Amino acid sequence: MFRSLVLSVVVMLSIVAQAAAQDVDLSTRVTAAVEQHILPRYARFATSARALSRAAFSNCNADDAELRRTYHAAFDDWVRVSHLRFGPSETDNRAFALAFWPDTRGKTPKALAGLIADESPAGLAAAELMQHSIAAQGFYALDYLLYDPTYMTMGVPEYRCELIRSLSEGIAVRAEEINGDWGQYFAAQMMAPSKAGAYHTSNEAAGELLKAVATGLQFTEEARLARPLGTFDRPRPKRAEAWRSGRSQLHVVLSLQATRELTTVLAGTTSVGERMDDAFETVLNNATFDDPVFAGVAEPIARLKVESLQQYVNALREQVVAEMTVALDVSIGFNALDGD
Amino acid sequence: MTSRRRFLAGALAAGVVPARSWAAVGDPSYLSAARRSDGAYVLVGLRRDATLAFEITLPARGHAAAAHPERAEAVAFARRPGTYAIVLDCSDGSILARLEAPRGRHFYGHGAFSKDGTRLYTTENDYEGAAGMIGVWDASNGYRRLGEFSSGGVGPHEVLRLPGQDVFVVANGGIHTHPESGREKLNLRHMRPNLTYLDGDGAVAQRVQIGDDWHFNSIRHLAVNSTGQVGFAMQWQGDEWDAPPLLGLHRLGGKAKFCMAPEAEHLGMKGYAGSVAYCGSGMWIAISSPRGGHVQRFSAMSGAYLGSVGAADVCGISGAGMGMVATTGGGHVVGIQASITAHHPLAFDNHLVAI
Repeated sequence: MFRSLVLSVVVMLSIVAQAAAQDVDLSTRVTAAVEQHILPRYARFATSARALSRAAFSNCNADDAELRRTYHAAFDDWVRVSHLRFGPSETDNRAFALAFWPDTRGKTPKALAGLIADESPAGLAAAELMQHSIAAQGFYALDYLLYDPTYMTMGVPEYRCELIRSLSEGIAVRAEEINGDWGQYFAAQMMAPSKAGAYHTSNEAAGELLKAVATGLQFTEEARLARPLGTFDRPRPKRAEAWRSGRSQLHVVLSLQATRELTTVLAGTTSVGERMDDAFETVLNNATFDDPVFAGVAEPIARLKVESLQQYVNALREQVVAEMTVALDVSIGFNALDGD
Repeated sequence: MTSRRRFLAGALAAGVVPARSWAAVGDPSYLSAARRSDGAYVLVGLRRDATLAFEITLPARGHAAAAHPERAEAVAFARRPGTYAIVLDCSDGSILARLEAPRGRHFYGHGAFSKDGTRLYTTENDYEGAAGMIGVWDASNGYRRLGEFSSGGVGPHEVLRLPGQDVFVVANGGIHTHPESGREKLNLRHMRPNLTYLDGDGAVAQRVQIGDDWHFNSIRHLAVNSTGQVGFAMQWQGDEWDAPPLLGLHRLGGKAKFCMAPEAEHLGMKGYAGSVAYCGSGMWIAISSPRGGHVQRFSAMSGAYLGSVGAADVCGISGAGMGMVATTGGGHVVGIQASITAHHPLAFDNHLVAI
């Protein structure tokens, strides 16, 4: 019912938008998205990830204030680019190694416990650790070592200290690699499409960016919100993202802000752009209730806010995809969305 | 009108008018459903070098096709839950016959011919009975409906014939749907997918069930190599981040073996394999994930992971030379271990069917 309503609205809008689509200079929009959204965000992430590694080298105590401050800052900056899952972030599985989550089988704590128990030398050198299982790397592994009382006291302090340093250094190296690749070649491939590059046309490049918005919103809905919600009879608050460090709701907000920026840059100063901005604004207004780790999913009343936010995000994704594919005249996921 | 067309179709198929061979229609090597940039749905023939051999308009979005073993005839199936399938003369796009699913049935989108080309078998849903069926059609007589038999499970999606014999393998996906509720999955909690081997009369030769832990792994698509090894591709209906292997290998009479890429690469498939195919030599097999934008290769012998190729919205794959060719929703034709590259103003649909 709701879906058919959305569809009929979309059909009406598409008639209006069709005429507008002719005039869109996709190349300008893609260039704007790369220069105003992607490059500055990755540059910032590379800087804050390096600051985290520096802080870990000067003081690797889990409760050190500067270490924790830089950890949060770098993690914020990662979430702000976490929707950009294409190109350099996928080379050598960098994004997976930065962010192994959701961890459905508890591989991260198992891998960390294994390293600590064995005092495995692979945990000591960043370069070696980076060859290790992706479950034992990145922000979500660090979250255990910095905020989980069990892992904050497991094994010997010296070993944990080196592990924190190596994990932080691994994050910094990967952030710099992604940022470097964007600067060295990928930005150019996206802004100046060619048969030799990753994108043959601006249309394909714009499609990739719109898909990043769609999959970013989908991840927020299906992983960040649906997983802790579980079912009414069986809520799963401990499935919330990075709840140990109190970041679950923050990730939803940061990611919505990031996908909002990318969407509006792609839409340009048009009526569609305004509508998109308003739509994101509404969802963001419903994302800032006081429940930082979604503990409320286990309480009938508080749960409603998380459920409602999930529905808002879902409807937002449908609206963004429906309107933006028409406005930009790009197609995303002819097969991916078919599901057969 | 209908009866006249029926008569003509029958006359054509019966050879009263000499039927055209595949060579006469530009020698296509593959068939694919597609959407044109003007929004029309078509069935296209692709040559070995990825050029278009023909393009025929379809009444609605297609899914897959079945190529007649000799005559230049293709059966184009509607996307499920469609009730149409049309038999096309690929030399001029004319409709030789229309297959209308009987009352209470709809097509799933795949079909296979008997070895001699006289019978067409189609996967169908008995949606009131929540049972999978195989419809039998007389391909030598205007595609008259001859009968049906059980597919051996619920939600039969693809059916393939094993090489050199009239034994068919059916991917019973396990998911019950009803046209009244579109594509909504009605029985996820209790789904039991299986792989069933049957002869042309429906006698079951083997049924392969996958373990209880993996009962959410819907078997949808199939490939077979010249030695009779069957590859089956799955779509995980459980937690996306907890997907088990998406590819299995099996040989009639034997046990299934499962293939899975390393951690990150496996996650990159997003729990979804859209198509499966053997490379031209049959030495390796691949699954495609349009959701993940990857094609993953595995050894047919050992099941070992061989590597991955990225392409946005990739789904159709088929053997080409010693390697493979893949098609995407963006209109690209990409060679994998094969030097093929082309672009057409088309969105290629799920399957690239070898003729």
